Amino acid sequence: MPRLAGVDIPGEKITVVALQYIHGVGAKIAKDICEKAGLDPQARSKELTEDQLSKITSILDSEYVIEGQLRRQVQQNVARLKDIGSYRGLRHRRGLPVRGQRTKTNARTRKGPRKTVAGKKSVKEMR
Amino acid sequence: MTRSSKKGPYVDEKLFRKVQKQNETGSREPIKTWARACTIVPEFIGRTFMIHNGKIFHKLFVTEDMVGHKLGEFAPTRMFRGHSGGAKKEA
Repeated sequence: MPRLAGVDIPGEKITVVALQYIHGVGAKIAKDICEKAGLDPQARSKELTEDQLSKITSILDSEYVIEGQLRRQVQQNVARLKDIGSYRGLRHRRGLPVRGQRTKTNARTRKGPRKTVAGKKSVKEMR
Repeated sequence: MTRSSKKGPYVDEKLFRKVQKQNETGSREPIKTWARACTIVPEFIGRTFMIHNGKIFHKLFVTEDMVGHKLGEFAPTRMFRGHSGGAKKEA
């Protein structure tokens, strides 16, 4: 199992897929890395040599924001919105959708599991 | 959909003129405005605005971080006081 960018240990998968286990690396970036490092994207990642691994690491370090640094960056952006007292910051604080989605129904990703309220009309009763 | 960059940011002309006038005279008077859709531009930094939310004017002191946002983002138009019966649970 090769080790990349600190904690990530992608294994039996092909290189393009294995790279996507790094936070901040998706399909596009994984493909770009393979191209830049001159790797076979279809080869299993365990077959990567030390040389290739260090090459990937240097590309990651120089060109992309990944893992902890990326998480921190996102955190800071959210903190800024909260700090200046904007509407978007308010939505972040309340744990509600930020981009104007409906909240009458759905929005479960932001709101978390349903909290049933006693006495609230169900869909069946409303008809 | 974001605004075309060709047009540049939307800045309410009247409001902008008022701000420029203040910058010249050095007056610190809060500016009352209804122009919620107006983008905050660097010239606004350090000014105080009173932004209408449909009912009252919210006071806002503009800092550097707020550049690029709209004035309306800082004056909420809805107030959520909680659902009925919510207080019963607390007691």
